[in-house]
Amino acid sequence: MSPLRRFLRTPEALAGTLLLAALIAMALSASLIFPGDPQAIAGPPLLPPFHDWSLPLGTDRLGRNVLAELFHGARASLAVGLAAAAAALAIGSFVGTLAGFAGGLVDEVLMRITDAFQTVPSFLLALAFVSVVGPSLGVVVAAIALGTWTGPARVARAEVLSIRERDFVAGARVIGMHPLEIAFREVLPNALPPVLAMSSVIVAAAILTEAALSFLGLGDPNRVTWGGMIAEGRAVLRTAPFLSIVPGIALMLTVLGVYLAGEGIVETTATRRGLS
Amino acid sequence: MSGFTISRRKLLAGSAMLLASAAMPISGWTQTPKKGGRLVLAADSEPRNLNPAIVASNGVFFISSKIVETLAEASYEGKDGLAPRLALSWEGAADGLSVTFKLRVGVKWHDGQPFTSADVAFSALQIWKPLQNLGRTVFKDLAAVETPDSLTAVFKFAKPTPFQLIRNALPALSSVVPKHIYEIGKIEDNPANNAPIGTGPFKFGEYKPGQYYRLTKNNDYWGKDEPYLDEIIYQVLPDRTSAASALEAEEIQLAAFSAVPLADLDRISKVPGLKVISKGYEGLTYQLVVEINHRRKELADLKVRQAIAHAIDKDFVVKTVFLGYAATATGPVPKNDPQFYTADVPNYAFDVAKANALLDEAGYKKGPDGKRFTLRLLPAPYFNETKQFGDYLRQALAAIGIDAQLVNNDSAAHIKAVYTDHAFDLAVGPPVFRGDPAISTTILVQSGIPSGVPFSNQGGYKNDALDALIAKASETLDSAARTDLYKEFQKQVAADLPLINVAEWSFISVARETVGNIANNPRWAVSNWADTYLES
Repeated sequence: MSPLRRFLRTPEALAGTLLLAALIAMALSASLIFPGDPQAIAGPPLLPPFHDWSLPLGTDRLGRNVLAELFHGARASLAVGLAAAAAALAIGSFVGTLAGFAGGLVDEVLMRITDAFQTVPSFLLALAFVSVVGPSLGVVVAAIALGTWTGPARVARAEVLSIRERDFVAGARVIGMHPLEIAFREVLPNALPPVLAMSSVIVAAAILTEAALSFLGLGDPNRVTWGGMIAEGRAVLRTAPFLSIVPGIALMLTVLGVYLAGEGIVETTATRRGLS
Repeated sequence: MSGFTISRRKLLAGSAMLLASAAMPISGWTQTPKKGGRLVLAADSEPRNLNPAIVASNGVFFISSKIVETLAEASYEGKDGLAPRLALSWEGAADGLSVTFKLRVGVKWHDGQPFTSADVAFSALQIWKPLQNLGRTVFKDLAAVETPDSLTAVFKFAKPTPFQLIRNALPALSSVVPKHIYEIGKIEDNPANNAPIGTGPFKFGEYKPGQYYRLTKNNDYWGKDEPYLDEIIYQVLPDRTSAASALEAEEIQLAAFSAVPLADLDRISKVPGLKVISKGYEGLTYQLVVEINHRRKELADLKVRQAIAHAIDKDFVVKTVFLGYAATATGPVPKNDPQFYTADVPNYAFDVAKANALLDEAGYKKGPDGKRFTLRLLPAPYFNETKQFGDYLRQALAAIGIDAQLVNNDSAAHIKAVYTDHAFDLAVGPPVFRGDPAISTTILVQSGIPSGVPFSNQGGYKNDALDALIAKASETLDSAARTDLYKEFQKQVAADLPLINVAEWSFISVARETVGNIANNPRWAVSNWADTYLES
């Protein structure tokens, strides 16, 4: 059985993939279905959902199209989630590999820095970073990566510690390769799979962190984000609850989708490893 | 009362009640007040310094105006819109060089000491003039305060100062604090700043950070039979959505200063036992203003400013951002001001085509992407409405090809960015009109103000004609002539647009129907509440 088919056999993985595919489709088609500024005023304010079919999910307090905002918000969530996870994984595996391969003092220093970052709650760190530097998409990505790179760093280091004792590493040394070259061209690629397995958790956490930051008014104000939409809707929670509920459901489904798909991948690779 | 309540509820359901309560004569509410009881209300901020003589702001007044009294309070029916408090009468000399106050007899401080003219002299010279945020401007020429006897205080000015201005400043700027407490040590560090001692109907009880402020009845108050309440508790509820639920659950009896979000008012006005009141804030009008940085070459061009003014649909802003609880603005003096307002100023009707034409004329053609130029837009974070108007303004500007990039800051960062660093192109600000343009309005357009002064002209705007007009008005003693100068001031500001006035709004109170004597003066929420009572 091919890995893909095995992957799609697990019901969670299938559900996760479908959710993710829908999300990606939303993000990609946002500009096609809703061209122009999603924050443009499109109708009367606080129109409830399913009343006017040109504005299926109604409008917010300024009369902006909630569905258009939802589609464009998918972009922000996905972009931040993926970018932050990629950055966290890159920083984490770099630091972990360096620490694990070099050992000694370098290992000590890098791991103590990792400890230091791990003791600060990652959300607090992101909050402080964004409030100091000022909110924009890039800063939010950096802030989230800052709090999440430690996990991958620890996993990468543990893997590297076991790999560096293998024969092919000794072989590389014998033929006179530069230690850095060995670390990043020989060891790192072999240490990556378990690190990558963490990616789904990181992506999900990053999407949630971004939403929380936007909710607190620390997102990029020039972009639609789901967290920002929930925050906007909060002021009228009693009179127009849909304004918070709709992006809330979208957020929940996204995180669920990412998590389920990630679980599926981990399970598939685990069985493959087990079979081989 | 019960029969009256039912018929009123039947007659004036929903928002009609709002209009009616505003129009209802005061006498309609008069009845024998009950004594005793504890009033619990929502407080959304916890000011650190509670001394209203130093920090003349509504957040401080809200709590400390019950403890520390002013010389006079705003009034709906009194002469010149004033009612006596610590002063019984005030008279300005014809040459504008002195004002004589006759003080109330038999007033005692909360610690038992008698209140005398020495306290007034001390407060005016040592606090209002050198330390108070607003007093620094109004009392800048105050040279001395003579006290011929213990109940007379004569303010002496070095330069002629309009009596009209001093009169209009009394409700907000004249909080009197005890000399015997403040003459020891540095005024700014005095412990009484956090636990004020005054002459008011209520004494400071205790403050539990994050929980409540408690004020207790002053049994020696000068007002006959007053105060009626035994205690006032300010329950700290920073979350605006929680005040409405707390009112419904009868945990609090009053939410002033729009603690209940505007969007909830329609729903809550239908809840039995609660009343929504839009009166009692006429003296605290906030203005929604687009502040402009004239250092930007595009914005230094009058045509561009006119285009921006034409791009803003003021009616839409009032209807959607303020849900109707506001009025459109024509200029720097709000429409509800009885003395100075004039409607005879240049108007900017909502007209996108005209705005686009003006920008084309100014030489800023649309680029291939439909954009003319990009601006930084900083909405002030203090109110939901200022933030929402920021979102609206961004869309309004997009319609005329100006790409506005929103920059969100917290309060401290916003004040620094706009008023110290000038790191803005457009900002949305909520200045307060305080009954006289000279108190806090002319400073918004006057030139020569050092950077770092918040809520002042920090946009680099300089107009010699306007500066001369402001200077002339500040030394014109005749009230009618002075009023005419401020009418001319409104015309010139509306014509040259150093800033754009969009709307004027005030606050809404929601109270249980058992709370009596609400909103009986134009600064009710920040007045002394001596006559407020609770029906059991």
